[in-house]
Amino acid sequence: MSEKLRESLSALMDDEANELEVERVLSRIGYDQELRATWSRFNGARDALSGHSQGMSQLDISSQVSLALASEESLQTSRWQRMVRPVASFAVAASVAATVVIGGQQLAQIGVGDDGARSVATGVSAVGFVNSLGAMPVQASYGTRSAVPALRPATRTAYSELARQRMTRYSQEHAEHAALNTPQGLIPFARVPRITE
Amino acid sequence: MRVWPDIHRLVGILGTAAALLLSAVQVFAAQSVVGDGCPAADAEALVWLDKMSRSSHEVDYRGVVTFQRGDDMQVMQIAHSVAGGSTSEQMTRLTGQGAQVERADHPLECLHPGHQLLQVGDSLQSGGCGIAQHYRFGVADGERVAGRDAVRILVEPRDMYRYGYVMELDRETALLLKTSTIGRGAKVLERFQFADLAYGQKDQSSAEVATVHRAAHPNPGQPPAGQSVGLDWSPHWVPSGFTLTDAATDDGRRRTYTDGLAAFSVFLEPLRGDIQPGEGMARQGSTTSYTRGMTLNDRPVLVTVIGEVPVNTARMVADSVTQAK
Repeated sequence: MSEKLRESLSALMDDEANELEVERVLSRIGYDQELRATWSRFNGARDALSGHSQGMSQLDISSQVSLALASEESLQTSRWQRMVRPVASFAVAASVAATVVIGGQQLAQIGVGDDGARSVATGVSAVGFVNSLGAMPVQASYGTRSAVPALRPATRTAYSELARQRMTRYSQEHAEHAALNTPQGLIPFARVPRITE
Repeated sequence: MRVWPDIHRLVGILGTAAALLLSAVQVFAAQSVVGDGCPAADAEALVWLDKMSRSSHEVDYRGVVTFQRGDDMQVMQIAHSVAGGSTSEQMTRLTGQGAQVERADHPLECLHPGHQLLQVGDSLQSGGCGIAQHYRFGVADGERVAGRDAVRILVEPRDMYRYGYVMELDRETALLLKTSTIGRGAKVLERFQFADLAYGQKDQSSAEVATVHRAAHPNPGQPPAGQSVGLDWSPHWVPSGFTLTDAATDDGRRRTYTDGLAAFSVFLEPLRGDIQPGEGMARQGSTTSYTRGMTLNDRPVLVTVIGEVPVNTARMVADSVTQAK
């Protein structure tokens, strides 16, 4: 997939796409399998981050695109049909693809899907069930001093909070290595919220 | 009417000739890449990067650095000195927390993987493109930073897995004076720059410091001592050009990768009980923290990727974490 197309797709997912980018993606989605797979993957990420289930999101995306297109004065019926059809067929393809796509075509190239555990571990669809049930408390730290309160990461908010806490907890350890392996010397420690001894 | 088929044929022939010519050019280009270093790369920029990496270790300097993320600005003091074949450096926060990070007795010959990737001189001569495979570089006239004339290095990622940079290097010493990290849509995510810089002077800082952290120094070649996490795991995918910075933590819960300009770390925590699969992220400046709850070898784990990479990169890396075979 071309870099331009990939960027257009990324922009579309970020709601930053201009008309040209939307059209670029939609004009190819019908027959470009790689594009569909990538979109499906991006979709999974975005859904999980926004708390939608996988199934919901397909509708969500296409209706969002539809809305964006419908708001244009110049919309013609023929163009409308031309655009909607590939999206609809994508939605069907994606629901199949979502169980297969794991995480990037690079991943696919190096050979995956070799055991069942893997698809459990990394299946895109797994992240679609964020909103269902409660969860067990998360284990606290490993030798680090600060005790981390147990969370029930059953909701999007909880997972965002987890990510924020992990950023605080791990940033110094990450900075240790960034300081040795990026050009700025000790400056990466400036990213650490609170430096500890 | 008879004219059209002929024209079609002519166009066809011309097209074929053009295609042949094009492929000949491509073959030629590919050969010259192998035979003649890396012509697609800006050789001048790569020379500057190489010098920049060396000067960050070998030059004696001290100064005041500002660090900006959005509306937030921190000021810190940086000192770096070289004596007897080893370096010592300090970073002292002048605003906010009264904290200092110091690294003493760091041998000059100790070259970590990130800097090896920047010192590309040898790799280019042997036919590789090094870091130029992953970034496009350009050189331009820089601005004045901390009273020094600078040369500007423009760094544009070749894929969507990393950020871009605008770096200003001291024209004389190649010391990195200013870095802006550029995200999508040319947005500056984070910027640091020297406000004041002096070479070779040794004066004591008068900043009051409550916390002093001695920076860790992992041995790049050392194998992990144990597996207290109890899982032999690894991401099966990282963006091309990223390499392990060290042999991971001795308890096997962290792995850090660098491409020379950016770094990210992957942390794995086994959980006590089941967890609903899910993911969340937090961002600050150029730093992304992405956390994913999932099952690995029938055990619930939390995988966190933290680093100066786009969210999508962090997600894909977390996605690819599996049990090592």
